[in-house]
Amino acid sequence: MTIVVVMEQVPDVVEELAIAPSGTDLDRDAVSYVVNEYDDHALEEALLLAEATGDEVVAVGIDTTGELDQALYTALAKGARRAIKLTGDFEGTWLSTRAAARLLVPVIQELEPRLVLTGVQAPDDLDGQLAPTLAALLGWPHASVVIGSQLVDGAVQVRKELWGGMTMTLELELPAVLGVQAARQAPRYVPISRVRQVMREASIETRDVETPGDLAPAIMRLRFPEEAGQAEILTGSASEIADRIIELLRARGLL
Amino acid sequence: MLTTSERIAFVLIALASLLLTAHGVSRIVRAIARGQGRPNWGIFFRRVIPVSLDILLQRPIFRTRPFVSLLHAGVFFAFVFYGLVNIFDLAEGFIGFSTLHRGGIAALYNLIADLLSVAALAGMLGLLIRRFGLRPFRFNERVLLLPSVRFGISRDSAIVGGFILLHVGSRWIGQAVRVAESGRPDWSQPTASLVATLFHGWNEAALTMASHVTWWLALGLILAFLPYFPYSKHIHLFMAPLNLILREARPLGQLEPPTSSDGTLGAERLEQLRWYQLLDAYACIMCNRCQDVCPAHGTGRALSPAALEINKRYYLNRNLAAFAGGATSPPLLEIATSKEAVWSCTTCAACVRICPVGNRPMLDLIDIRRALVNRGDPLDPNLQSALESLARYGNSFGKPARQRARWAKELPFTIKDARKEPVEYLWFVGDFASFDPRMQENTKTVAQLFHAAGLDFGILYEDERNAGNDVRRVGEEGLFEMLVEQNLAALEKAQFRAIVTTDPHTYNALKNEYPAYGFRVPVYHYTEVLAELLERGALRVQQPLRAAVTYHDPCYLGRYNRITAAPRRIIRALGLELREMPRHGENTYCCGAGGGQIWMDSGGQERPSEQRIREAVALGDDLRYFVVSCPKDMAMYSDAVKTTGYEGRLTVIDVARLVASAVRIDGLEPESIPVESEAR
Repeated sequence: MTIVVVMEQVPDVVEELAIAPSGTDLDRDAVSYVVNEYDDHALEEALLLAEATGDEVVAVGIDTTGELDQALYTALAKGARRAIKLTGDFEGTWLSTRAAARLLVPVIQELEPRLVLTGVQAPDDLDGQLAPTLAALLGWPHASVVIGSQLVDGAVQVRKELWGGMTMTLELELPAVLGVQAARQAPRYVPISRVRQVMREASIETRDVETPGDLAPAIMRLRFPEEAGQAEILTGSASEIADRIIELLRARGLL
Repeated sequence: MLTTSERIAFVLIALASLLLTAHGVSRIVRAIARGQGRPNWGIFFRRVIPVSLDILLQRPIFRTRPFVSLLHAGVFFAFVFYGLVNIFDLAEGFIGFSTLHRGGIAALYNLIADLLSVAALAGMLGLLIRRFGLRPFRFNERVLLLPSVRFGISRDSAIVGGFILLHVGSRWIGQAVRVAESGRPDWSQPTASLVATLFHGWNEAALTMASHVTWWLALGLILAFLPYFPYSKHIHLFMAPLNLILREARPLGQLEPPTSSDGTLGAERLEQLRWYQLLDAYACIMCNRCQDVCPAHGTGRALSPAALEINKRYYLNRNLAAFAGGATSPPLLEIATSKEAVWSCTTCAACVRICPVGNRPMLDLIDIRRALVNRGDPLDPNLQSALESLARYGNSFGKPARQRARWAKELPFTIKDARKEPVEYLWFVGDFASFDPRMQENTKTVAQLFHAAGLDFGILYEDERNAGNDVRRVGEEGLFEMLVEQNLAALEKAQFRAIVTTDPHTYNALKNEYPAYGFRVPVYHYTEVLAELLERGALRVQQPLRAAVTYHDPCYLGRYNRITAAPRRIIRALGLELREMPRHGENTYCCGAGGGQIWMDSGGQERPSEQRIREAVALGDDLRYFVVSCPKDMAMYSDAVKTTGYEGRLTVIDVARLVASAVRIDGLEPESIPVESEAR
């Protein structure tokens, strides 16, 4: 059976980001891309599930950057059986999560997986909407903030992180969609020689997709956060600190 | 003279013994031949004479433990001469040939045999007393040892030692009996003649009996021992020379690419090791010298290079028929060493250098790492993120390549971009010197010294990548190759006469590993360049320094590449008093950072760097500076001085900072090192 992992590339924030002269976009020539950290965990969790059950992992992604091959080859080198990239005219655009989900659904339906895993969130999806949107469009159950999973008797048991250090275990009927926060273990290292071997021997399947009309909200201005004030650490006894807090709040007209 | 029946018996026993021995030897040869690759017999003839000379002079043995080596030399020289003695004794038994009471060359032969017999007996007794009385051989309790090894080592030593004592002792006493038979002392056999006085008063029949018994104990014993010989540590006397002779002329700092068999890169099982790594097991004499110098074992970690070889040997001996016949061995991590041990090697090569029989246990560890990395075995998380960062950014710091030369912006001058204009020296700065904030001051100092001396130099700026020395040694061959390709592409853009490096690890990679990829350029360490600049007056000492210092040789500089003089020339040129630590030069002790350890969590009790600081502190209360010439050393020892509580007492300082203080460069704050005028 099949487990689909949806992967996305995002700008590498280790590198210095620059804003394009238009003022509404990153300078894409200067950006380099990495796999979304959570998608890496989704892939690891999928591989762990597949190793236990003999399922086939298929990595799927929308090539909005033109550089998705690298990420998909790495996924293949780590143990995915197939890799599919969706190509279209995405140049100079940022795809909204909703649009991305709509592009992905037909491929997922075609693959008939019993599970779809993706990262719980991404820098361009800080609300973590991709997994629930996919689930809604597919009409399948869904869990997000997943930190572990297990396939048992035609269902998937997932551990999901709540608040205050609490976790919840729930069981979903298959097929289901999971938004993964962290795999059971750290994403594996894949030796470069294996990636290179995969690049020589394996191939990535390509599907052309129509570019959806409602790509993204229109960006009016993009800028770096401006430096704002500094943190002050309050010291002293509890009542001194309380007095100081009240004073600060009063000074700002909040009390 | 033997009786006829004795002669027939001897010939029959000899035939049986030789057949059994040949059977054992052929199994061992077939077992070794299961290793990867084949020896280059072409070098055998080129090397057999020089290496044999080395062995005859006992050079590999005298590298350490002088007294024990002397005992060994006694046994060794006797053994070599006994080749002749045994032939003459055979002739005596079979045809009655005798050198007794003869003059000339026969007397000389007698004298040498007589004295060497005593040397062998004394040497063997000494070695046995040491092994069984002083019990100097201990493995720490974390070391993996096959159950058969624990008892096996003692049993093997006792059998071999007992054999030598009995064989040589019987021959010696046998000569005394013959002297007694002749009725007068043989002055060419002084010690035998002395022993002969013990037989004073024995009748002829008793003496004849004694002469037969001792002959059989001396020569018959060989026949009894011979079938055991291939399985005993005594086989080292053939395997060790073979190991030394057949060693390819490869620099210590150059690894062979991993072997590939049954889809495994590197070695998971015995048969995936190279032939010489299997030969190592039979060359090993279990002297444990490698373990004594191993920084991992010395800090309580699970690694013992000796145990690795001994385990291999005992596994092979116990399963020889099956293995020689083609059976698959269990994983090396079950029979030879543990995963913890594999990952605690610093690749300092101390074991390789010290081994008297030419073994290279470090290579086994690297091959096991290669297999682990390629199989996707979980890595130490810090190591994994270092490798991922190296693959992505070309450095282990997780910093963008563009920031590599950021330190250079703080200089009052611009360093030439070697990609854009020709330079004489291309300075390959290295990761730690470029990115580690603690090291950047030193890096700037080196730049200022080069600049002040008028050196024509440049750097590769963001195109430089980690040279890959330690990446290769953690077993990530593919990443190493990628880094080599990236660096070669960058170097191709530049025009230069020679390379100068800050980091000894970089030095080793560029000097010894890159030539295999077609890169051949003179490579210098910055200490070599600074020494030369001082000596030809391009840098002038304005203010001689007055302090007692010690110098730590980095493994990849001192041991791997034998660059030990240049840093010392600098230190003396500055007026400093150099005090050597007991372990220095090629015999240096590892700081614990090499072979990728700097990226891993060390699980040892005490770190090697802390032991090293204590070694330096013991040189005297007035020793102020611990001088280093490697950015990794700067990091390791700065930490170690703090954790050992010697901060304030001992200062870790880069040799370039000392030069800058004595040379006095404008705009460069000198260190507060006592200078000549203050001291007087």
